[in-house]
Amino acid sequence: MAYLLAAYAITAVVLVGYALRIRAARAALLRSTQQRS
Amino acid sequence: MVSALVTLSVLLAAGWVVWLSRDVEARVGSASTVGAAALALLALWLGLVIGYAPIEQVQGIVQKIFYVHIPAIIPMYLGFVLTAVGGVGFLRTRRESWDQLAASGAEVGVVFCSLMLVVGPIWAKPVWGHWWVWDLRLTSTLVLWFIYVAYLFLRGLAFGSDAAKTFTSVYGILGTAAIPFVYFAVDLAQGSTMHPSNPAREGLPAEMGRTVGAGMIAFVGVFAWLVARRMELAALEARSLEARAQRGT
Repeated sequence: MAYLLAAYAITAVVLVGYALRIRAARAALLRSTQQRS
Repeated sequence: MVSALVTLSVLLAAGWVVWLSRDVEARVGSASTVGAAALALLALWLGLVIGYAPIEQVQGIVQKIFYVHIPAIIPMYLGFVLTAVGGVGFLRTRRESWDQLAASGAEVGVVFCSLMLVVGPIWAKPVWGHWWVWDLRLTSTLVLWFIYVAYLFLRGLAFGSDAAKTFTSVYGILGTAAIPFVYFAVDLAQGSTMHPSNPAREGLPAEMGRTVGAGMIAFVGVFAWLVARRMELAALEARSLEARAQRGT
């Protein structure tokens, strides 16, 4: 059961983590664009 | 029926992503709908994994790791094929949007390839007694991962230059040559691999097949949404660089 939970937890962390990383990069880019303008 | 739905979802996702790449900033609004659909499909898939798919008699509950491992294969291949499609498009037209499609496909493809490479050994340890064996399927998949990680590194090292984009486009096209080798690795090894053969040909019991199919469609939806968001970010980065260059002159 521990193996199963580990596999599904890693899947969730990888996919959600990657989506959040894109979101954070987008927000940072928009912020820096607004500051410059 | 299930394989037809999976094929349809792959074609729809690929078509939508290519359509989006033509003008990502104007069209990315449709990504919210795709994201919501992907979330609903993920919920359905998880429900099937928990309540519908039977517990396999020999391997026990740990076999349910397959419902993550197998569906991750389709987005991985799709990402790498889109890298080649974007590469061909860029070489023909020199349009930035094709290059952004190629880069986004490779990055999201690597995410799913990494997921597969991490989750597979978690299943293998209790079933085979080893985290990893150097058989043809596992080794060729690891080589495929290295090919596309190298692609992303190359892009990072030579950021923005036209020559680098030309080189990575050619690299991305050639990289797809490894895909059939990975897919048919078990056949090439004439069955002498620890890794099971492709489940589509092996034939799964109906409940397992439907659960794997639902997982594939859900993961394809997640893949399309991630590629859309990554392409939007790439377009924003390009616009920001352009604005900075204009101010600098």
